[in-house]
Amino acid sequence: MTTITVGVLALQGAFVEHIQLLRRAAESIVQNGPRKALHEPPHFTFLEVRNTDELQACDALILPGGESTSISLIAERTALLDPLRDFVKVQRKPVWGTCAGLILLAESANKSKQSGQELIGGLDVRVQRNYFGRQVESFEADLELPFLESPFHSVFIRAPVVEKVLPPSNAVPAENSPDQVLAPPRQSTNAPVEILGRLPGRARAIRDKTTTAEDLGEDGDIVAVKQGNVFGTAFHPELTGDERIHAWWLTEVVRLKSERIG
Amino acid sequence: MASNGTTDHTPSAFRYNNNNTAVKMDTTTTTNGHASTPGPDPSTVKKTTAAAANPAQSTFAVKAGLAQMLKGGVIMDVVNAEQARIAEEAGACAVMALERVPADIRVEGGVARMSDPAMIQEIMRTVTIPVMAKARIGHFVECQILQAIGVDYIDESEVLTPADPTHHVDKSGFSTPFVCGCRNLGEALRRISEGAAMIRTKGEAGTGDVVEAVRHMQTVNAEIARASSASENELRQMARELECDFALLKETARQKRLPVVNFAAGGIATPADAALMMQMGCDGVFVGSGIFKSGDAAKRAKAIVQATTHYNDPKVLAEVSIGLGEAMVGINVEKMPETNKLAKRGW
Repeated sequence: MTTITVGVLALQGAFVEHIQLLRRAAESIVQNGPRKALHEPPHFTFLEVRNTDELQACDALILPGGESTSISLIAERTALLDPLRDFVKVQRKPVWGTCAGLILLAESANKSKQSGQELIGGLDVRVQRNYFGRQVESFEADLELPFLESPFHSVFIRAPVVEKVLPPSNAVPAENSPDQVLAPPRQSTNAPVEILGRLPGRARAIRDKTTTAEDLGEDGDIVAVKQGNVFGTAFHPELTGDERIHAWWLTEVVRLKSERIG
Repeated sequence: MASNGTTDHTPSAFRYNNNNTAVKMDTTTTTNGHASTPGPDPSTVKKTTAAAANPAQSTFAVKAGLAQMLKGGVIMDVVNAEQARIAEEAGACAVMALERVPADIRVEGGVARMSDPAMIQEIMRTVTIPVMAKARIGHFVECQILQAIGVDYIDESEVLTPADPTHHVDKSGFSTPFVCGCRNLGEALRRISEGAAMIRTKGEAGTGDVVEAVRHMQTVNAEIARASSASENELRQMARELECDFALLKETARQKRLPVVNFAAGGIATPADAALMMQMGCDGVFVGSGIFKSGDAAKRAKAIVQATTHYNDPKVLAEVSIGLGEAMVGINVEKMPETNKLAKRGW
């Protein structure tokens, strides 16, 4: 039986919630029997990651929700930013970011904090922080996701959205404008950015206070994306008690790991 | 004024069913308490502002969810935009906007009230992290004002002068979430049943003496441990004794922790203090006077943030504790007259 170690970055935010739901997802994988991707369910161990040694022990990593500025500042002072960039963009291990984690995994984000913020990168997208507004604009909504059979009830807390899919980071040097921050480049990937989830009818449901929805048309805001080894969601599956996305992602982790070995 | 008095109304179960830690949920259930949006109690409708148009907004899951995003972080008291920026650069996960930090309120005396909304709004424009603000205990109009200007969290705080001699605010009708102080489990659960989506231990604000924060955390922990090993009958007895809702107490016993996020507050002045509270099991820390009443605020703020993340790593704690300059002078709580203790406010 193979052992897979999944870490959750535990610098700040809702990391305990992810570990609890990962445990339940692992149980559900065992109980539901082998899926197509999993002939033999592996043994999972889950780990809170606060330093480089702990990161190095991981086959896959979740970047939890929290405050993205806090997480990136603490990562910088803990000398974790470059090891994280290597993990995501050079070693190309499976990584999933939720909310603040999605912001950190974006190659570009709007510069809302005055002195900007450090990004890890890995997803060729631009995100808009606090897109829906302040806390009173936070909400719950049902989402259709292609890898789940029924809608997923999700919680958006001061959430970002993916504003734009960017050309691959190796294609053209990114134009840097004063109102955005960029992640430093590493090895680029040929994997395309897949849009896995959109929030329908947001404009009707919530008063739009920003002006960034122009190129989204009527399709709805992008709230879940995947590019190769990197998965990002603008919402918080860890706040719902529904472990289906975690279970799906764990099977992806197993698949990606067996592909790397194979 | 009966509409204010809701501390004794029957608490309903939704307040913790939506919490992430309620793990009973069936895997096929895709709704997370969507239907259980807190509707205002008919008797309290008058004093709550208009509910959000979208029924899925301002649910307890959304309110408690922001507190969960703050976990493992440091919330810092700031009195102006400049301090707020220092706090954000230090890695604070939120700031508490107020006109005077508790240490100054102690020295200057007088009635401490909600801050000028203009000052809170300036801080909201300055930083991207959540902004909290304090209202007086029981002063639901101050809460309405804070909600109207869009603060992310309201602290119904004993640091300000209480406005109601008998009741706390009915918090469930507001769309802005609330954090409230406690000294023990009963007080925490009474606040949660009024709608608080986050709890902090009171400690003794403005002293720089961590002893009361430790005392309150120990009390809460001991009472949770007792509840966790109690039989159903003993729990009923305990609910009467603690004057709290039985269902909430039972849920606390099952989870072996408070059903909402619990931060430590009141007297934390050093990185070691923050790590001490984290090791005692709190989810994060509030630092009030401790930062901006010290010699090198920016450095101390960063150190406390690092210590809160690496609370279990003494080597990191040693590194960040070096050369922080002068800590706030502090007041020894043991030598303080009982009447000067802010934690006594609220019930």
